[in-house]
Amino acid sequence: MSANINLLLQSDKRSLGLQKKIKILNFVAAICLAGVLLTSLIIFLSIRIVNPESIKKEQEEVLKSISPFQDKQIKLFILNNRIENIYKILATRKDLSIITGSLLEKIPAQLSIDNLEIDGKSVIIAGQSTSLSVIGEFINNLIDMAREKDKIRSLTLNSLILDESRGVYSVSIKGEL
Amino acid sequence: MNGRVNADIKSLKFIFDKNKPFIVPLAIILISIILFIQFVIPQIGSLLKASQEGKEARLKLEILKDNLSVLKNVNQTTLDFQVKILNLALPPAKDFSGILNAIYLASLKTGANLGSFSFKVGDISKSEDGPSFPTIKVSVPINSGVATVNNFVKTISETVPLSEASLIRIGSISSTVDLYFYYKPLGALNYSQDTRISPLTQKGLTLIKNLSEFGNTSSFAQPSVATSSSQ
Repeated sequence: MSANINLLLQSDKRSLGLQKKIKILNFVAAICLAGVLLTSLIIFLSIRIVNPESIKKEQEEVLKSISPFQDKQIKLFILNNRIENIYKILATRKDLSIITGSLLEKIPAQLSIDNLEIDGKSVIIAGQSTSLSVIGEFINNLIDMAREKDKIRSLTLNSLILDESRGVYSVSIKGEL
Repeated sequence: MNGRVNADIKSLKFIFDKNKPFIVPLAIILISIILFIQFVIPQIGSLLKASQEGKEARLKLEILKDNLSVLKNVNQTTLDFQVKILNLALPPAKDFSGILNAIYLASLKTGANLGSFSFKVGDISKSEDGPSFPTIKVSVPINSGVATVNNFVKTISETVPLSEASLIRIGSISSTVDLYFYYKPLGALNYSQDTRISPLTQKGLTLIKNLSEFGNTSSFAQPSVATSSSQ
């Protein structure tokens, strides 16, 4: 008898376990279906909310308001373009007059300039004087400039010639800028 | 024993009846997964795209509103004056008359005695739209002293069109100054209605003010509002 009772209890247990499994499975299925439907609905509504159509309509209205100012708009573009380019030019162009001005200040009054050639990279100065000390003063002044890296970086004495017939000293100096 | 499974209708019905409670929920789960893959995932993509488009549209609208505000506040007369000054300083094309005016104005101011000079026109058919600045070279002979030549170079550097002296050759008899006059074609402005328009900065206004004090700009009467673009 006891063996039979045990068998019946096991069968009920199995049946209850099976029903529980079915319930869980049904619940999971319902959750899955509801989840998919709900997610789909939320996404659909979100798309409707973030839809840029209304913004695009507003854009068109602003564009209509801007169209009478098109001339001004183009001129402002030109203006900004010119300013940008002019700044580039002013930042890169060399002002040789400043360098020449500095050099002229260093040339003694008794020295006459025969030739002064300056480009963006170098300067060549040729001059003459009856006094050797004036030539010396001129060379010293340029050496000071080169030492202080003031406009001139390096200096080369090309020639120093004495014309005995005229009693004139000629000097030619090249400087790297 | 040949590996075949002999399943008759009764056996299938038995299996179906035994597993009947599992079939429906499993089918629903399977359908849910298929729906998720087929519809929800593409919808997420659409949502992201719509969100991005909305973001861009809002940004564009903001730019347009800002542009409208800037344009409403710009004074037309001041703007015309500023464009003229800047186009004189950096012409969009070869401005021979501007160059001649600048040279003669500088010679008048400094008392430099000019010799005859010529322009190098260059290849007109060549495209000049690039990052560098095209120039017109003019070699100006000057029959004056060292100081006058230097003053001439200084004066022309403060005259429009903008130029750069590349060579100063001062001799005992005559001197030569090589000048490069800048110009820059506008090229493609990349003009678009939704490009942000920047109002003139203080730096830009200062530049225009400085340029308006340069030589060769006297032909333009400066309006009283020249230093401010917002009126």
